[in-house]
Amino acid sequence: MTLVAASAVPSAKAARAWRARPGLMIAGALAFCAIVYLLPMLSLFGWAFQGPAGTGASLAQLSRLIGDDTYHYAFFTTFKIAAITTLICAMIGYPYAYLMATTGPRLAMLLTAAVMIPFWTSVLARSLAWMILLGRKGIVNEWLTGWGLLERPAALLFNSIGVQIGMVHVLLPFMVLPIWSILSRLDPGLPRAARSLGASPAAAFIHVTLPLSLPGLAAGATLVFMFAIGFYITPALLGGPNDLTIASLIEMVVRDLLDWPFGAMLSLALLGLVALVFACGAAFAGAGRIAGMEGR
Amino acid sequence: MTDRPGLSRHPGLSRRSILLGGAGASLTIASPFVHVTPARADKGEIVVAGWGGSRTTAMREVMFTPFEKATGIRVRDDGPPEAAKVKAMVDSGNVTWDILDTDIPAILAMVNAKLLEPIDYSKLDKAKLGKIPPVLHHPYGLGHLIYSFNIVYNTKAFPNGTQPKTWADVWDGVKFKGARSFPFRGGLSPQLEFAAIADGVPADKVYPLDIERAWASHDKLRPLVTKWYANHAEAIQLLSSGEIDICCTIGPRGLVAKKDGAPIDVEFAGGKLAPDNWAIVKGARNAEAVYQFLNFVIDGKVQAELAKRIPYGPSSQDAFAHLSEAEAKELNTSPDNLAKQFWTDIDWWGKTAENGKTNNENQIERYARWMVKRG
Repeated sequence: MTLVAASAVPSAKAARAWRARPGLMIAGALAFCAIVYLLPMLSLFGWAFQGPAGTGASLAQLSRLIGDDTYHYAFFTTFKIAAITTLICAMIGYPYAYLMATTGPRLAMLLTAAVMIPFWTSVLARSLAWMILLGRKGIVNEWLTGWGLLERPAALLFNSIGVQIGMVHVLLPFMVLPIWSILSRLDPGLPRAARSLGASPAAAFIHVTLPLSLPGLAAGATLVFMFAIGFYITPALLGGPNDLTIASLIEMVVRDLLDWPFGAMLSLALLGLVALVFACGAAFAGAGRIAGMEGR
Repeated sequence: MTDRPGLSRHPGLSRRSILLGGAGASLTIASPFVHVTPARADKGEIVVAGWGGSRTTAMREVMFTPFEKATGIRVRDDGPPEAAKVKAMVDSGNVTWDILDTDIPAILAMVNAKLLEPIDYSKLDKAKLGKIPPVLHHPYGLGHLIYSFNIVYNTKAFPNGTQPKTWADVWDGVKFKGARSFPFRGGLSPQLEFAAIADGVPADKVYPLDIERAWASHDKLRPLVTKWYANHAEAIQLLSSGEIDICCTIGPRGLVAKKDGAPIDVEFAGGKLAPDNWAIVKGARNAEAVYQFLNFVIDGKVQAELAKRIPYGPSSQDAFAHLSEAEAKELNTSPDNLAKQFWTDIDWWGKTAENGKTNNENQIERYARWMVKRG
């Protein structure tokens, strides 16, 4: 807000000059988006509806996708992993964001830093770090067995547990931040009013705070789910054979089999599914919030 | 292997649509693997696309720089030599690489997609060529640096020669306890030869592969494998941390780790040898310089110098005249180790099956299918 006000003050002339040529600016931005996003997207469509030997328009790739259940399994696995990750992120992220929004400024800063600092570290590095921590001879198992909590090391790696730990760690900020952004701007008078009218703290939360923060939760869940669907490095490193994601298979098809039409079809299918999730999330939370735009 | 006319997959596409398609595909899918700095191949310069890292550093030292000094032709290195990137280059007509240093599965895929120039063996030095086993003279790739899939193990788990020494041992979870790891990433060929050998097929009779028998044997391996590893560096990391005990991975990588002090050693017996090759990109601009370069680098002495720096076997048996006995012992192509191992049958993997795809492509897909469905 202050930013907009400040820039509007100094020169009305300059502002008029900008306004005079908005078409030009928009055209540039549009051209950029068209070249960088739209055209590749369209040509992806073109690839996907080609026959196997470049025989022109064909539904061969689509029927192959429908006919080969290997890819269905991978899609299913991908969605399962994404759904579980989203659920866990929501369960951890909501209370965390709530604490961030309601506690004193110092602790809030600490909590924010705790979420943001790993957020700036490479996903690959973090996944590799988890491999070292969670392994049979990793720190976690050494402690658990050393303290006598376990007799033998627990299988925390190369299965879905490892994948979930890794993915929740990577994606948690995408859940925490949208929820926090809503909760921190919530009028504290509202739950207070509920309390003064006789609601218990739990009732005030359930009937006032939670419903008001749901758009944030929906935005966070949509973001986490969408990112999780495209996840690739973390499941490949921390997962087992049951955690093969569609992104890995797309890589195989494009990079090693050089079958670009089928790769395009798989990508398109993934894109369609992500769009579907986005649409559901948008219907609930408003597209602007998911895309990161502020305001109401 | 012969060229297959009519198999080019996208003749109907314009250059622009392929470029954009390639850009789209790499942005959405392969972005971690495709790097975009272009290198230019002009007259008086050749561009060699290789794997980078210590390997390229060593090649620069013993091959590129001496070649530049000898001929005045500049050698630029670039990479990694991803087939997908070569495809984007050739399809778009903007070829910036001349020579690739890559493995057979990649070469087979590129031959199928018509991305390579056949090697004109008449332009290569007969004497130098004669020292390289004929099995490595592929029409589209000349084997120069040999890697091998071996039994690589943790020496704390298996001290003093107690390690598994055959693939049957690796398949035997009772006699040899310990966590196994095998390579799997969508796109890697399955280790079917080892599965067949573990099931009792003699190594010299392994080809043509009995595919069904090999997969049946592969089923038995599944419960013993803790981690299907996605890249070779990861395998070495898992071995040295003790996370796994027995690994089917690239032997020379195990030797590098051993030299660095990791508790890792390599059992050469039963290993499968395969070449990294010099291959020529279709549309390479400076054919004469390319052959000058090839003649320079297939020299036994040059290969020996490279082997001193990175422990991959030289393809030229002449190289061992320039290596000490101690140096030779650790190389997978030393006469002793060569006798214990077998060569990957390139022709079998490259053969087209009934569905029009190569054995390699079919088995790669089957590997993914096997991985997803048998959980």
